[in-house]
Amino acid sequence: MSVPTPSYTPNYTPRRANWLASNGTKTAEGLDVDPEILDDGFGFDEIEEIPWDDQPLTHSAPVVETIDPKKIAVAVDGASKTYRVRSSSEHLKTQNRVGRRIQRVLGSGWAEIPAVEEVSFVVRRGETVGVIGTNGSGKSTLMKLLTGKIRPTSGDVYATSTPVMLGVNAALVRTISGRENIKLGCLAMGLTPKEADDRFDMIVEISGLQDALDMPLRAYSSGMASRLQFAIATAVDPDILLIDEALNTGDAQFRARTKKRLDEVRAQAGCVFLVSHSLGTIKQMCTRVIWVEQGRLLADGDPEWVCAQYEEYTDHKANDRVRSAQIVYDRTLLKLSPVHIEFTEGTRPTEASQAR
Amino acid sequence: MAAPATERTTPSFTVGAQRVVQMDGTNLARVGARPRLTRYLREIWDFRHFLIYDSHSRASSQNSMDALGRVWMVINPILQAMVYLTIFGYILETHRGVTNFIGYLIIGVFTFRFIQGAVTGGANSIASNQKVVQAFNFPRAILPISSTVRELFATVPTFVVMAVLVYFLGDMQIGDMVREPITLSWHWLLFFPAIFLALLVMVALSLVFARLVNAYNDVKNLISIGTRIWFYTSAVIFSVDRFADKGHEWIMWLMYHNPAFCVLDIIRHAWLYNDFADPYRWIVLAAWAVVGTIIGFIIFWEGEETYGRER
Repeated sequence: MSVPTPSYTPNYTPRRANWLASNGTKTAEGLDVDPEILDDGFGFDEIEEIPWDDQPLTHSAPVVETIDPKKIAVAVDGASKTYRVRSSSEHLKTQNRVGRRIQRVLGSGWAEIPAVEEVSFVVRRGETVGVIGTNGSGKSTLMKLLTGKIRPTSGDVYATSTPVMLGVNAALVRTISGRENIKLGCLAMGLTPKEADDRFDMIVEISGLQDALDMPLRAYSSGMASRLQFAIATAVDPDILLIDEALNTGDAQFRARTKKRLDEVRAQAGCVFLVSHSLGTIKQMCTRVIWVEQGRLLADGDPEWVCAQYEEYTDHKANDRVRSAQIVYDRTLLKLSPVHIEFTEGTRPTEASQAR
Repeated sequence: MAAPATERTTPSFTVGAQRVVQMDGTNLARVGARPRLTRYLREIWDFRHFLIYDSHSRASSQNSMDALGRVWMVINPILQAMVYLTIFGYILETHRGVTNFIGYLIIGVFTFRFIQGAVTGGANSIASNQKVVQAFNFPRAILPISSTVRELFATVPTFVVMAVLVYFLGDMQIGDMVREPITLSWHWLLFFPAIFLALLVMVALSLVFARLVNAYNDVKNLISIGTRIWFYTSAVIFSVDRFADKGHEWIMWLMYHNPAFCVLDIIRHAWLYNDFADPYRWIVLAAWAVVGTIIGFIIFWEGEETYGRER
């Protein structure tokens, strides 16, 4: 859907957000005054200025930017996800009594769960993007959309190569031994048998499971299994890398071992997404932060600023200050500049990647 | 998982400047898109090591929880053959008109077991491997194929037992059964091309059913009843000629175009009667194998983007 480029010029003039006034009309009470006039030390000067359009919400002229095609790593174009799951309480929603009975026998219906609303952003090569959000905000769904594990309900995700998720989600077969699982995992990621053999020792070393290699996987503790999963996942060197809370698994000893390998993988990757709840890690590593909240892209930008907003939001949430949290949410959302992606005529990708 | 509905009522509005990003998409690819068919086949070839390793490692660990381990791969079909022999040979006397009925029954039961196992396993291969599908990016057709090949690996000991039993017991005479001595000859080697073609047919069916089961989970319940019907229309435990004198010509026609019957007939002729089966059997079987594999791949490939997705 390549829309012909409108010849907009970014011509809005930043004006003060004036919440009390309705555009230009004076009220009888004469209350429509610029609040700054009333400022006698209440600190209006410290209120942040929000660029305001003459015709708010309707005709704001978009800023057009063109990106060098060589620099793009990932482009998410209006991707959204609504899960459909079988729910055993869904039949209660049917009004009709007979219909309700029938649905109940059939094991009731499908419930629709919107997980991520339409999200658009572009990530350039060389960026390290932190992804934050409270539990259940849609972070994981967004990551699954990026790796192509689930298909967006609407929109699409484009990338130069298939992004690879690094975490504790590499599938393991419970009936076969750890040794066979390592080999199988490597082959499933597309390595040749020789490459798999080369990396075998490294994987074993990272997992630290030298003694348990020949036991079937069902004998492993959950910690051992997740260590093995993570170790297997690190065997490839992906160009676009997603790290999902991986730094938080395992004990200190394991973390120290993985840190080295993770730094290696990160160093060679062209673009990194880091999903974490640790704001320290995010601020330290990322050049840009995306905050996803309630399935919506809430902020996208400078790590310090986004993290500060996020911290304030979670603090309010944790102390049950719902209204305050909502204010932070709205305030942050107001500052978001939504992105609309346009492809040059006829270059919208439809094919799968050419190089794995 | 999404936030509760009450939390999502906030209207979505922003005041930040709208940004339009223009780009040239030639370097990009759609994530998770299905490749072209030729490319798809080449990818399957690239992942052949995974396919073989997967089928091998899982076949050898199938019975790892049982005390007798892999011996069950041999015991199971023997017990099954004994049950059928008792019921159909002694009690129902379906052996009338069949020469070397014991061998006939053993070949039928053992081979059909492989066919049934391959189709059932292949049909469930995507549904039961959701985790693997979600964790790795490989052409999904690997899973049904690997499941079929795994069944073949797992059935190798059964086939060895089958050969031994047929050679030593196949021409045993019980009651009024017709007997003809079984001799070992090069005809026995026809078993291999026949099983190879059967494997291709199984792959084709697995691919089609795997897509069906993935799309509609309910189909799973129909597959077991379907294989049962197939069992009775493949002359596993009785002779086709039973229908000939009853005037059910259409059943005969159905059987002659049934790949499972063709495989059984070819093996039985080679092993029990030391001659060739009707060349028509080979034609039907080869046609099923070639046409079925092509159609199966196309059908499966078309659904490539739908496998293993959370809905």
